[in-house]
Formats: sequence, C-alpha cells, structure tokens
Amino acid sequence: MDVTLRVFRYNTEAGRTKPSFDSWTLTDVDPTDRVLDLLEFVKGYHDGTLSFRRSCAHGVCGSDAMRINGRNYLACKVLVRDLNSTTITVEPIMGLKVVKDLIVDMEPFFESYRSVLPYMINDDVPADGKERHQSIEQRERFDDTTKCILCAACTSSCPSFWGDGKYVGPATIVNAHRFIFDSRDQAPGERLQILNEQEGVWRCRTAFNCTEACPREIHITQAIAEVKHAITSGNVD
Amino acid sequence: MTTFMASLRTTLAGYINYRGREGHYSFLLHRLTGLGTLLFLTIHIVDTATVYWMPELYDHAIALYRLPIFMIGEMGLVFSVIFHGVNGLRIIYQDMVKPSSWSIHTQRRAARVTLVVSILIWLPAAYIMARSLLAHL
Repeated sequence: MDVTLRVFRYNTEAGRTKPSFDSWTLTDVDPTDRVLDLLEFVKGYHDGTLSFRRSCAHGVCGSDAMRINGRNYLACKVLVRDLNSTTITVEPIMGLKVVKDLIVDMEPFFESYRSVLPYMINDDVPADGKERHQSIEQRERFDDTTKCILCAACTSSCPSFWGDGKYVGPATIVNAHRFIFDSRDQAPGERLQILNEQEGVWRCRTAFNCTEACPREIHITQAIAEVKHAITSGNVD
Repeated sequence: MTTFMASLRTTLAGYINYRGREGHYSFLLHRLTGLGTLLFLTIHIVDTATVYWMPELYDHAIALYRLPIFMIGEMGLVFSVIFHGVNGLRIIYQDMVKPSSWSIHTQRRAARVTLVVSILIWLPAAYIMARSLLAHL
C-alpha cells in the first residue's frame, strides 16, 4: 500500500527555524509495518536530518512517544493498519518544549517524576536480616503501576498538563502510587503530602486521555483516584 | 506572560486537535457547559441587580429575554445545567465511590450513557421551551 507520511519539522541546525511539515509518499508499505519503521526509512533514504528518539524499538524503553494522527502512541508499537488511514501525520507530544523535529525537552517531566521520591524508602533491617516479605495480595496492590516506562504519552495527553506545565501529571502520580501502596515502603505519608499540594493530584480533571494513551495499559485514572482516596482517608492499604 | 500565552496556545490546540476518545469530548463538553452556566449566572446577577439601580433598564432586559435568539440560548442553558450536573455526578461516583470503574470499557460506556441521560432529561424541558418560543414568533 502507499502511505503519505507527514512529519512535523523544526530544526534550527538545518536552518528550519519555523515549525512546518514535510511529506513523503512511501510505496510498498506493509500494513503490519510500524510507524517507527516508516520514520527510520525516511531518515535512512530521504532525509538524514529528520530527528526523533528511539532506542529498543520494542515498546519497553519508552523513547518514542509521539502524536500520531492526533493521538499519543509509541511509534514502535502502533501498526500502519491500526491507524485506518493512508495519510499518517506525526507530531511531537504536547506540553513539553520542542528541541528538534519530534524530540521534546523531557527534563520538566523527569523533574516532576523525581519530586515524589520514586524509590523505596526503608532504613530498617529486615526481620530475618535478608529480605522483606510480602504476601501475594500486598504485591498485587501496586502491580499495575510497576509497568510504567516513563514515555510521557499519558502526561502529554493530559489537558490539565497542557494548561499548567507545573502540574505533576499522570506519570508522576502513577510512579508515586507504585511506592505509596507498597507495604515495604515507609514514606507513603511524605509522598501523599507532596501530591496534596496545589500542583498535585487535585489538578486531575478525569479527562481519561492518559489511560487511553498508555502503551502499557496501566489504569492511570484509577491509580490517581486511589491516591486521592489515600490523601483524604490517610489509608494506604 | 509569554509562558501564560504559550500554555493557552497549547491548551486550545490540544482541546481542538487532540484526537481523544469519549473522555476527551466529555471533558470538553463539561468545561463548555460549565462556562456557559457561569456566563448565564453572571448576566443574570447583573440584570437582576438593575431592579434596584436602574428599574427601567430591568424592564428592557426582560424584554430582551423574549427575543427568539435568547429563548434558543435558554434552551442551550438548560442543557448545559443538566449535562454539567449529570456528568458531575458520574465523575463523583467513578472517582470517589468506585475508582475501579475507571477502566477503558466502563468509562467509555459511562460517558456515552451520561450524554444520553442528559438529553433525555433535557427533551421535555426543550419541548416546553420550544412551544413557548413558537408562540412568541
């Protein structure tokens, strides 16, 4: 099949100081090709200056979140046939500053992530001196939110984040949830206090774009609601 | 100011261009109906205040509300209040009572049902208002 690939371009090094779009008509595209394959093809055979992030190309590293035909996806996970269109428009994710073409400045995103202490806090020595035991139910409690790969597809699809870049965003709350509900962790109160601030969970308007966009199918809006409950009830069971 | 304008641009571009699913459009409609209701309340408070300050202007304002364009607007206002209320109850239920209902399947269905219920509640009121509108033409 033939596909028209339209890609957002902004590249000051190549003299493209104003945002614009480039189009390529690609022939012999297989419906099971991924959008990342098309981008790689264009970069390899048409325009080597085209810039985008990719690393593992298998939906694990979370490098290639992009807005494809208006919706956030990982370019390495979405197949051409899933888009039901012979014109594919690829743009950078929203709410983060564009550095070059499809590459955005992820630092504000990671700064927000770091703000909720996304690591195990427990200074006690385990009871048996070796390991901290958990029941299956205790591990299950936060299993869903361990799946996050920090691709920012959720945060950059959130209307609250578009309007207020200081809002911690869904990905940060998901990663806080992962530790707040971990029975081995000793600092859930500290994280809940951070998320109870003005730019915390209460900025969530339940638009649900985050859950729809998550390539790992995490129940993000549910996790945010659970954090809200934990804040109001003080209960992290 | 520049940051504010940039955020505003991103927000409006996102509202219009982002191809979300039911949740996105439900969020937009909730916001629009909320702003619509707020606008009406502001106008209503101002025009009612004229009873005290400028009674002759109050009569004029009431006459304006009898214009077809305002009567059609009032039908939209009733829909705004109903949708904003029903959708608000849905969000309260899902967010505060049953967070496990924030699954893709349930959320999409809940958003659609909310719109249908809002329209069903609105229709009788719209019928009465449309009848009144036709009588005034």
